[in-house]
Amino acid sequence: MIETLISGITYSSLLSLMALGITLLYRTTKVPNFAHASFVVFGIYTSYTLALLGYNPYLGTLLGFIVSGIIALILFYALLEPLRRRKSSIFILMMATLTYDILMFGIINIYADYLQTTFKIPARNVYLAPQDFTLIGLKGVTIVSTSLLIVLLMLLYILLNRTIIGAALRAVMENPSLAQANGINVSLMLALSWFLAGGLAGVAGALLPMYMMTDPSTGMLLIAPMFCASILGGLEQIYGAPLGGFILGLATTVLVSWLSGVIGYWIMTYSLMVPYITLIVTLIFIPRGVVSIILKR
Amino acid sequence: MFDVIILFITDLLAFFGIYLMLNTALNIERGYAGIPNFGLLFSYAGGAYITGHLTAKIAILLTGAKVEADPITQPVSALMVLNPILASNPLISITLLIIILLIGASFGALLGLIQLGPAIRLREDYLAITLLALGEVMNYIAIAYKPFINGSLGVQVPDVFSWIGSRYRFYLATGIILLIAFILYIYAEFLGRTPLGRAMKAIRENEIAAVSLGKSLTRYRAIAMIIGSAFTGVAGSLWTLYSGAITPTLQRFDWTFLPWLMIFLGGIGNNLGVALGTFIFVLINRLIIFNKHLLAGVLPFDIVWFDYISLGLIMGLILIYRPQGILPEKPYIPKNIRRKIVVSRSQE
Repeated sequence: MIETLISGITYSSLLSLMALGITLLYRTTKVPNFAHASFVVFGIYTSYTLALLGYNPYLGTLLGFIVSGIIALILFYALLEPLRRRKSSIFILMMATLTYDILMFGIINIYADYLQTTFKIPARNVYLAPQDFTLIGLKGVTIVSTSLLIVLLMLLYILLNRTIIGAALRAVMENPSLAQANGINVSLMLALSWFLAGGLAGVAGALLPMYMMTDPSTGMLLIAPMFCASILGGLEQIYGAPLGGFILGLATTVLVSWLSGVIGYWIMTYSLMVPYITLIVTLIFIPRGVVSIILKR
Repeated sequence: MFDVIILFITDLLAFFGIYLMLNTALNIERGYAGIPNFGLLFSYAGGAYITGHLTAKIAILLTGAKVEADPITQPVSALMVLNPILASNPLISITLLIIILLIGASFGALLGLIQLGPAIRLREDYLAITLLALGEVMNYIAIAYKPFINGSLGVQVPDVFSWIGSRYRFYLATGIILLIAFILYIYAEFLGRTPLGRAMKAIRENEIAAVSLGKSLTRYRAIAMIIGSAFTGVAGSLWTLYSGAITPTLQRFDWTFLPWLMIFLGGIGNNLGVALGTFIFVLINRLIIFNKHLLAGVLPFDIVWFDYISLGLIMGLILIYRPQGILPEKPYIPKNIRRKIVVSRSQE
């Protein structure tokens, strides 16, 4: 039971990192980023490549932040910024992120195929947990993911609330045209938010192969939990994302494993359905997320 | 050589028919009613899988054949009994086809309702998230629930086209696909001119204005989604019957992204544009696939992934430079109103 709880906490931390980016982007660009899963997958392959080259895969968190951040910046400057200049609708912007997701899915698959055919490496089943360390009976990935989540949340808080850049970023979130009128470079601030969000997804992705078996299509599995965590927390408050991440993460792991003891093992097969059901229930009853309930009091 | 060309054209037309059904459905949902249905796969896969599940069972009921084997888990031995009966009996085959298509349509419509039910009042972006997330569900259900279509192994279905003779089987199947696609296309075009279709477009253009004129947002969105999903379900059914087997591997790329690409290419909201976009895309796509063997072995990766990149780039260019498509939508003004406009202008 304790083991399931620890595994649940690890999963929740990773999910929170991903959801944080989605919420951040929704606040700044007002668009749900359907390409977020591919940022995660780039993180996965960054740490896998480092592991292949003989480095410690945990270095991947740092490099993954940069790689996925750049991937997100390319999306912003190549697609979203031209569309924003043309005053395209939110729908066109959503379509653009979906398109970019398809594009990146192709690229990451080519990379996996390239590794497989050229170096004869099994690049379609990425699992690095055997290389993980243990400290006082805890798996490395648990320690690193939870502490990284806390550190990154603190850094994000300091950036947003204690620096001049953060003030500008918050101004862009609240009212882009007013921010522009006050001399803030809106485009640059949006680019910064894309870099940060991509980076957070990259960190989560870099840690993911330590936790579970991954492959290029892992992104498709993650898209529902990510959005669910983000909406469950509340898209209108950045710090709702970790809250949603933990509620959903613990529900999918701890609750399902408890249910499988009570009802029967067959329920495990349907654990993938938990995010979808949670998403729909949230949208019916608390469409503005858990944070909206807390803030009301 | 001649045979190869005939084979190519049959294959091309079958794909064109299936995609035309999907794209007219998407055009009703997005082009008329403004629903960003990124979960087209849900009802399409639903239609395809329910056909895989039920065709053999209904065939047993219709023919009264004694089949010992379970048609889901042991399809080969069940089909050995069923296929000869169907091949020698055109009437039963056609009845079976019609029943299955009706089931596909109603199951698709039901799935559309499930999909939209919780999300019907949401804003566009939330709606898109919900639909996209749900789109991935059908494959999980089909893999997890073994009695549905035998898990990841999939099922084979009885052949309802073989009564014409094995030589002409694919021609007949393609012909029926094209016929149904044509009927659905005409229906969609007709729908766009009715008050119902115009109310949908009014909601798409300006939700608040439409609601203030007494048009119910919930009602018209639900109608558009039900009609669209029924079309999609029929397309899924026909795909299973055409290919003769189905596995739970239908992809979001093929059955959600590509239809979006085609309607963007042709022109969202304009049925003729959608048909044109579909034809251009399917023609180029099939030509590439037909000549793919020329490139095999040259590249160090599977050529399939090249599709993802090139089509992604094309979509990006369309979005930036011509989001209205080749044939943009023209506003349709009914005759009686057109006359009123002319009269009021002449009075001025």
